[in-house]
Amino acid sequence: MKSTRANSLPALLGAIKPRLFAFLLDWASWGYVAYAVMFLINRYWFVRYVNFYGTLTLPIWGWPLVVLSTLELVVLGHAFGHSIGLSLFGLRLLTHSHRFPRTQDRISRYLWWHAAVLLLPVSLWRSGRECLLLHDVRSKTYMVPLAEVKDELPVTKPRPWYLTNRGLMTVALIGLTFWVGWLATQINLERLFSRAPKSAYLWKALVTPDFEHLAMPDPELKDSIMGGMLESIFMALLATIFGGLIAFPLSFLGARNIMGFSPLGWLIYTLARAFFNIFRSIESILWAVVFAVWVGFGPFAGVLALTIHTIAALGKLYSEQVESIDPGPLEAIAATGARRWQVVLYGVIPQIIPSYLAFSLYRWDINVRMSTVIALVGGGGIGRILFYYKGQVGRLSNAWNQVGAVVFAIVAVVWLLDYISGRVREKII
Amino acid sequence: MKDRYYAGFMQEKPRWMRSLADLRGRLFVFITDAIALIYLWTMVSYCWNTFVFHTKSFVTLPWWVMLLVVIEAAALWENFGVSIGMKLLGLRLTSADGSAPSLGNRALRYLTWHFSGLPLVGVMAAKDGQAWHDRLSGLRVVGAKDVETERYPWYRRSWSIALLVLLIVTLVAAMLVTRVDFVKFFTGAPKTGRIWRAFLSPEWSLLGDGIRLLIVTIFMAFMATLFGVLIAVPLSFLAARNLTQGLLGRTVYTIVRGAMSITRSIEPIIWAIIFVVWVRVGAFPGVLALFVHSVADLTKLYSERLESIDPGPVEAIRATGANRVQVIIYGIIPQIINPYLSFTLYRWDINVRMATIIGIVGGGGIGQRLYQYTKLWRWSEAGLLMLLIMLVVWAMDYTSSRLRARLG
Amino acid sequence: MADHLVVEHLTKVYKRGDVLALDDISFSVKKGEFLVLIGLSGSGKSTLLRCINRLIEPTAGKVYFDGIDVTAASSKDLRHLRRRMAMIFQQFNLVKRSSVLTNVLSGRLGYVNPWLSAAHQFPHPEIKMAMANLERVGIPEQAYKRADELSGGQQQRVGIARALMQAPELLMADEPVSALDPATSHSVMRYLELMNREDGVTVIASLHFLSLARRYGTRILALKDGKIVYEGLPSEIDEARFKKIYGEEAEQVEVH
Repeated sequence: MKSTRANSLPALLGAIKPRLFAFLLDWASWGYVAYAVMFLINRYWFVRYVNFYGTLTLPIWGWPLVVLSTLELVVLGHAFGHSIGLSLFGLRLLTHSHRFPRTQDRISRYLWWHAAVLLLPVSLWRSGRECLLLHDVRSKTYMVPLAEVKDELPVTKPRPWYLTNRGLMTVALIGLTFWVGWLATQINLERLFSRAPKSAYLWKALVTPDFEHLAMPDPELKDSIMGGMLESIFMALLATIFGGLIAFPLSFLGARNIMGFSPLGWLIYTLARAFFNIFRSIESILWAVVFAVWVGFGPFAGVLALTIHTIAALGKLYSEQVESIDPGPLEAIAATGARRWQVVLYGVIPQIIPSYLAFSLYRWDINVRMSTVIALVGGGGIGRILFYYKGQVGRLSNAWNQVGAVVFAIVAVVWLLDYISGRVREKII
Repeated sequence: MKDRYYAGFMQEKPRWMRSLADLRGRLFVFITDAIALIYLWTMVSYCWNTFVFHTKSFVTLPWWVMLLVVIEAAALWENFGVSIGMKLLGLRLTSADGSAPSLGNRALRYLTWHFSGLPLVGVMAAKDGQAWHDRLSGLRVVGAKDVETERYPWYRRSWSIALLVLLIVTLVAAMLVTRVDFVKFFTGAPKTGRIWRAFLSPEWSLLGDGIRLLIVTIFMAFMATLFGVLIAVPLSFLAARNLTQGLLGRTVYTIVRGAMSITRSIEPIIWAIIFVVWVRVGAFPGVLALFVHSVADLTKLYSERLESIDPGPVEAIRATGANRVQVIIYGIIPQIINPYLSFTLYRWDINVRMATIIGIVGGGGIGQRLYQYTKLWRWSEAGLLMLLIMLVVWAMDYTSSRLRARLG
Repeated sequence: MADHLVVEHLTKVYKRGDVLALDDISFSVKKGEFLVLIGLSGSGKSTLLRCINRLIEPTAGKVYFDGIDVTAASSKDLRHLRRRMAMIFQQFNLVKRSSVLTNVLSGRLGYVNPWLSAAHQFPHPEIKMAMANLERVGIPEQAYKRADELSGGQQQRVGIARALMQAPELLMADEPVSALDPATSHSVMRYLELMNREDGVTVIASLHFLSLARRYGTRILALKDGKIVYEGLPSEIDEARFKKIYGEEAEQVEVH
């Protein structure tokens, strides 16, 4: 391994990236372990009650201690084992001749790391393209990308999972999360079982639905269950159609193989993808709140909320589809001298139509499900009826039975739609 | 090999069985057309009522008028063109000698259909797939492949025009039912300017609170997914067609599949309402609601994957004399670990999203606080919480898609 | 030599009478024989092999292995019988994501304690036996590799090692070399021959190429449309019989 000056920054960065990310990932895992342990200590041993939101109380000297100890643990893990970060980023610690290092080399690496960290800038500047830092050189052990040496490594009996760094760490992470999660979400099995007889009436009422207002409108609501269901289906349908139509052109803006030919194209691509991701993360219900202010309560607000989410979701699905088309036909059409939009029209579009239809059907399904609850925040649809009857629980004796009827209608329609869309999608693809 | 029947099996199906099969086909066509027409009628009535009478109703004329018109229209459609039902089943009308039917024959068939097709008598007594009205008019119903038709462009074919009309009418009716009002959309825009401005200047003082709520929300999703996986994995073996054989197996399969389908159709929010009554408000009912829905969804995904495993290794392990459990552990489980993990990550994603909103009905987490702020019209605070949600969901999405790519 | 395997009037019908896969097959196999099944694809060779160890349930007929009625065996007895009959497959049927060693060890599942095997814990002697069998088929260094990282010939050898773990009395091979090139085919067939000659294992193999059948088999059974059309020595298949087995347009192909 040569040690020339770092003659290209990108190469150096490329070599550093996996090591840095592996280090950060392992540090984050240990940090998380520290958090969980502190949380549990706070919860069980501190006399003062700690709000489960995780206010961690530590003495002043506690924080640096935590930081330093997690750092040390990470470096130890990297020197002596095969940690989660290293395996996710495909690195292994090997000697120059691609063999496993001896214990004294590992200890030497661990100790030299401290010096290397303090002299990091100097070390980086002097290292070559293989990113040889001080502790690498001094201990003669190197972090090698697995892909380069896969075939040369001797295939030995692997250690059982419960003795590896990765295995133990994963178990610890899951176990701690389970423990902390149990406390943080206030799971209370005792309450579940003690209140079970009291809420039995609820279940009984739900399974004996009262179909009084299935087709005949309820005078209070001026609507019937079937009417509400139709409203929901139409809401979902319109949202899917509008969303699909708008997402269709947008998806081309978010496809790397259409956009990636100029800096402007990359910018548009990044913006489009960011747009899709952002608007996909907020569920339609939250958008419905905003739209309820905009156009007033009612199904229109629901339609708009569902449309926004649909545009983002379909946009992402569509653009992924565009990115995975077969480039062969496109080449052929471009070779005839066609312009870009003609290539798109005759080459790209015929390939993606079946998947587009399938995704749109899938989205319609999801939208129908969402529309059943969007009334909660002011959208329309069957949710309005559901929450109305839920609200009548104290006043009406058969309120829960009415709720049961609504739930029954929802289940029937959603299930039917799921089945039909599943069958049609099978036929399309 | 086709005409070799094992001794004891029927050589040929009896005539009434074949007529019954014919009848099913014709009935399907008629019913499909009738449904399409009834739907068209209802939607047009609704639009008519809204535009002309300014009332919201699906009914203008008595139901028997509608039925009469629909039956006649369906019969006319099937005899004089290619209806939607005929297109779906791939049937066409030709004359006995294979040529295109004449207008007169079509009319004759339509008229005679009232006596033989409508009361079903003529179809039940059919010989060789020819009902009475077929024989009287000299026409027969055959598969579309056996008929040479002129290739009319789509705007001249009755079923495609019908589909287009249905689509347009549905759109109009839908917009009326859901009270789409583009005027309000555009005039209401300035009202929301306040909201957007507040979103763009979020209330940073809430950051600590927001992060803590977010932590609880993520833990909610984690617990729901973990318990969901624990229950769904064994349940999926009961819901896989290739692993449940025999009478007992079939019953278990049907029950499990049915129960999971029903549970899946009910959104977690609705489950949360039920569980809030059961265990009172907090993060717990949210976890329970997500758990129940996760079990149903995961069981479906898992069992579908189980049904498509490679049977080869399973066969090989059976052949060594292993018992059922060993076959599952050595033959089936290695094949499904990665797909199961991938589905679990997918569900984890969904649960995180759901957990952010399940607070609305009292399920704890960030949704509860966010909903309260929006009800109070405190948009800056809501904006911050929404921003946090966006960041976390996006981060989870990204990591899980990278992990799923590696699981391959 | 006694009759090791006796098949009487074996019949298999699919799809409620539409497909007759096996039509009243009767034959017997002596201990130590190397029986080769030949015939066109779809003539019933695979079905016949799978009916013998009841991977497929026959519609009618009986199979006797070492005097015991396989077709009437309870599930526990069936498992004990299956331990004594090993099988190798055309597509190798290894568990792709497991290691070679685990695949070989799974041949021993009929013998080991079910609880231990559920936890992937095999006793030390079994592991040594597995390594020894891997050495016997010539691939001891691949023990810890994932099964799908091996070449076709190597995978089939893992299949043979798995079969060897059962210390079987009968080995059934369902077109073991159809997915391999000619040179590898010979090396795999030689392992089967070794098992037959040195360990005294009765072998029933279905093969596509008559030349391989002639080279390795001591007796030939030819199937066509589910019926036996020839039973006898490999050397006695002349032109006329060949056409009867394979059809009028078939030609002989040599595999070197």
